[in-house]
Amino acid sequence: MPTMQTRSGPLQMTTPLSVNPNDRSTTSGGGTPGQNGSANGSASATAAGGDVGGVGVLDKNQGGAEGVTAFAECIKAGRPFPAYTHESLLREDHVIHVKDFSLYYGQARALYDIAMRFARGKTTALIGPSGCGKSTLLRSINRLNDLIDSVRCTGDMTLNGTSVYAPSVDVIDIRKRIGMVFQKSNPFPMSIFENVVYSLRIDGEKRKGVLQDACERALRSAALWDEVKDRLKESALGMSGGQQQRLCIARAIAAEPEVLLMDEPCSALDPIATLKVEEFIRQIAGRITVVIVTHNMHQAARVSHSTAFMYMGRLVEYGPTADIFQNPRLPETEQYVTGRFG
Amino acid sequence: MNQSLENPTQKQPPSEKGVGMTPRVRATPLHARGEPMVWLTGSALVMCLLMIAGLLSLVLYHGGRAFWPGDVQQVTFAAVGEDGKPGANPTVVLGVQTEEEFFDPGEADQKAIAAMKNAGTLPPGAVDASGRAARKLLRVGNRELQDQPFLWVPLYQIQKVETPAEATMVERMEWGPWFGVPAGVEVRQRVAIDQPAEKIELLVTREGEHGKETVARTIVGQAEGKPGSTVVDEVRVIGKDDPARAMAVFQKLWPEARARAVEIERLKEIEVGRINHEIEAQRLRVRQAEVDFVRAKVAFETGAPSAPVWLWWVGVVGAVGLLGAWIFTRPKPPAPGELLIPKPTVTALRAVMLAGVAALGIFAYVERPNSLLRADQQTVERLSQRLEAVRAEAKVQTERLEAKYGELRTQTAKIDEEDARYRVIFREVTTGKFAPVRQTELGEPLRISQVVRTIQPNDASVFSKLSVYTSRWGEFIFGSPREANTEGGIFPVIIGTVTLTLLLSVLVMPLGVIAAIYLREYAKQGPLTSAVRVAINNLAGVPSIVYGVFGLGFFCYSVGAFIDTGSGVSAASRVALPVVGSVWSTVAWWIGVGVLLLLVLGAVFASMAARPRPGQYATGGQVWLARGAAIGWVLCAVSFAGLVAYTPYFNGFFEANLPAKTFNAKGMLWSALTLSLLTLPVVIVATEEAIAAVPRTMREGSYGCGASKWQTIQRIVLPRAMPGIMTGMILAMARGAGEVAPLMLVGAVKLAPELPVSSQWPFLHLDRNFMHLGFHVYDVGFQSPDSQAAQPIVWCTTFLLILVVVTLNASAISIRSSLRKKFFGETF
Ligand SMILES: Nc1ncnc2c1ncn2[C@@H]1O[C@H](COP(=O)(O)OP(=O)(O)O)[C@@H](O)[C@H]1O
Ligand SMILES: [Mg+2]
Repeated sequence: MPTMQTRSGPLQMTTPLSVNPNDRSTTSGGGTPGQNGSANGSASATAAGGDVGGVGVLDKNQGGAEGVTAFAECIKAGRPFPAYTHESLLREDHVIHVKDFSLYYGQARALYDIAMRFARGKTTALIGPSGCGKSTLLRSINRLNDLIDSVRCTGDMTLNGTSVYAPSVDVIDIRKRIGMVFQKSNPFPMSIFENVVYSLRIDGEKRKGVLQDACERALRSAALWDEVKDRLKESALGMSGGQQQRLCIARAIAAEPEVLLMDEPCSALDPIATLKVEEFIRQIAGRITVVIVTHNMHQAARVSHSTAFMYMGRLVEYGPTADIFQNPRLPETEQYVTGRFG
Repeated sequence: MNQSLENPTQKQPPSEKGVGMTPRVRATPLHARGEPMVWLTGSALVMCLLMIAGLLSLVLYHGGRAFWPGDVQQVTFAAVGEDGKPGANPTVVLGVQTEEEFFDPGEADQKAIAAMKNAGTLPPGAVDASGRAARKLLRVGNRELQDQPFLWVPLYQIQKVETPAEATMVERMEWGPWFGVPAGVEVRQRVAIDQPAEKIELLVTREGEHGKETVARTIVGQAEGKPGSTVVDEVRVIGKDDPARAMAVFQKLWPEARARAVEIERLKEIEVGRINHEIEAQRLRVRQAEVDFVRAKVAFETGAPSAPVWLWWVGVVGAVGLLGAWIFTRPKPPAPGELLIPKPTVTALRAVMLAGVAALGIFAYVERPNSLLRADQQTVERLSQRLEAVRAEAKVQTERLEAKYGELRTQTAKIDEEDARYRVIFREVTTGKFAPVRQTELGEPLRISQVVRTIQPNDASVFSKLSVYTSRWGEFIFGSPREANTEGGIFPVIIGTVTLTLLLSVLVMPLGVIAAIYLREYAKQGPLTSAVRVAINNLAGVPSIVYGVFGLGFFCYSVGAFIDTGSGVSAASRVALPVVGSVWSTVAWWIGVGVLLLLVLGAVFASMAARPRPGQYATGGQVWLARGAAIGWVLCAVSFAGLVAYTPYFNGFFEANLPAKTFNAKGMLWSALTLSLLTLPVVIVATEEAIAAVPRTMREGSYGCGASKWQTIQRIVLPRAMPGIMTGMILAMARGAGEVAPLMLVGAVKLAPELPVSSQWPFLHLDRNFMHLGFHVYDVGFQSPDSQAAQPIVWCTTFLLILVVVTLNASAISIRSSLRKKFFGETF
């Protein structure tokens, strides 16, 4: 029988929650724009219980074919689908905590009560078919979606325990602590050097030595230093596509952010450049929390510690990468990672 | 999920036979093919190009031809008698043919032509097949002697056309060209001869340094202290009735004479320009001191109040205290890993403090104890002392300057006397009269220095004609206008146009770019912004003369008057009011300042509170708050303008210069501002488009790095949009440089005494009138007394206007292309 357990803090979680998806689905359906997330039955239950954020763990025995039906039915009925989060992840120290986060583009809902945590210093891969909301989730973390007028959201996220969506928080402060790399490389119309130290420049840093150090360090991490060290003063727009993307990576980490968001960073790159980027991600693991969106299953398997599978705006399964790829608990995850749908 | 695994190709198409069984017959209609459209579009382009090329080549042809020296013809003509024989007592004129045409002959002409036909003396070509007669227009100059410098001569009357080698066209400083034959050079001198007066020959012929010369002497008197020696005035005539030798001697003497004329010009420039300016500056200093003193005295005597000193101390202490509190309460920088979360109450309090510091600071500054704006005994005494000191200093300075002025005048007079010694005689062919030194002294021959250029084109080689041509162009471009602009050069006009255009672009760029940034980046896109955009586009269609009227009324008369005379609420006029009223006018002004600060604070807080919660729609209350804030900002701007206009502390920058007007009149600044208003729509539209074209990914990249909106605009959007903004500037410059109508109202004049730029402080004289190429074309072409003579100038000015616009544009375009290279990568 399902039980909801309340905890005082995410780190003290030791006992796995056991939730039957069929029972869970009887709670209220998806919210509508403008409606607060706490109006949802499930969310109110979790909110009352602290900051669990709807993290549910399915009973291992209840996977299989039954899950497919449950998922399809949930979506058809517009009910929230309880994500399956592997219990080992819940024990980790986390930087970002997504609490029942939903997002709407005008009337269209793009995210459905996402609840997940990103472990400190680890790399998390977001996978799922196109249009399932991976980019939207990523851009919600540094509030880049604020730039789109029609966006509304409910629920919350925290960065190191501070709410990202609180009215008193300056969004610029949030973004200063989160680096971002985009799908399409977007070097600025200035020199390579200025591109890399852009974050420092806007912070008012003028000391030449500091800027040069930061530039060299960032470019070395991004494995670009040897290629461009002689032409730092040249325009960044004259570089090759792969170099431009690595430049954007260098730019994102030059100010030493805590979190690095990468939205399909390798989708436009050749295999060699892709390898270099992956190498970079492996190197910074431990120092920087990375959230990476990718369509490449092998890449996800190679670089990430944990993987989240999303589908149609819902988080479906979230667990250690090895488990997701070799031992997924839900059949739809298995179908997706083996390439049978999506 | 199950559906996604379905095979969609299993369904059968509706056709029975299936796809590909009967090939469909497909055709491309003619109008859809490329070629006719290529021809159509191509010919439209050719039409446009032809019209533009036609205009340009017309200007180029006339402008290029205008300065080429034509032959000087000696035309003999007379009215034809009834017998059809060429008339007796013919007139002989020298002139350059400028036009030839057929005309419908009048009755007298018809009779004469008929008679000549009968007599068989009609010259060939005098009449065409349809009975129209030919005539030609001769430029005959010599304005001192005849009214018409141009003469139409019917061909049938012409008996003889010759081109004598010695026929000369003399271009003079004044009174237009003179056509004549050189008949001698005069050198005048006063000498002492060691002979008694009665023994001196009054007419001698002798060998001088220029060859044979005839000397006519007038006895002045006995030389002082030298008995037996006589002072005589000699007039040495060289090359009398020998045109070739006269010309040669003239040419030898001419360079020196010109140099003297130029030197006189230069000295006058210093006299009038520099020294007069300095003397005027001294006068203004004294006048300012007087005005200050009188104002304070009258204010004091009529009891106009100033703030007591203790109140001033309150202001100072208050300002310092608030500033200290403001610094003290500043939020501490966050520890690493923490977010800076300011408390709204503290933020609000600090804003209030800053506003207080501003208000008290202004008060403490203007009411400071040693402020000359106060009206107490002490100030009056100080001002009185200052006035004395300034007067004494100015007296010394003025005396020094006047001494210098006198020196220069003597120097000028000396050179002028020397210059008067050298004369040249150019005789008209019929009457034998010579070119006079001025119209009122027909008996005195022309000074050599008055001759700008002599041309004897008839036997001249192409090279010497070419040198005349280039020298005429040189004078045209680098010289000043003469003879009501119909001769000479247009240097001040070029300078005026270039200065105006550059100033206009300097003014219009920030204005337009800032407006466009607000419209595109900050303003919420909605019906209001769309309406503003439409209004801006419509502004481009307002007739330019309307801008001129606005510029005259608003800039010249209102803003200019404020700059010149101040708000009119100054202490001097304050005392004209009842005393109580004057107190109140100042107090009311300070209350106004307070209200403005409150308004600003209110608008700031309303704007802050109107911001929706992150990720939420604005609530109805927030929407209304935002509207209130917008209205508040507008009110702030209006009341700020009102407060500035009525400040009791400002008496104008040019009070001492009154009643002479400085900015309260037509001038460079107002013209540039008017034109920048006129060209504003172009810049705004171009900038908006350029900003909108900056890729979203670039902005997102910048925001992702933690840049604020302004940082993103400043560092990413504007640099990237710069080439597009430059396009707007180029269009604005082209439009502004060619504009004439508004300039006639706000600044361009027929003849500006001084250039708008000079080597004297402040180098760019924004208050001065200026000349403008477009206005020049209109003025010389349609307003000049002798428009026929001005034609070359009109064509060449038009040519130069086009050239100036093209040059300015070309330089802007080259800057733009270098920017393009910098901000748009070549790789993808
Ligand atoms: N700016 C936008 N306005 C409206 N809908 C959007 C916008 N961006 C994304 N969406 C919609 O949100 C959903 C999720 O998109 P996205 O997060 O980009 O998917 P993914 O990155 O997983 O491919 C899609 O259905 C997409 O159509
Ligand atoms: Mg995406």
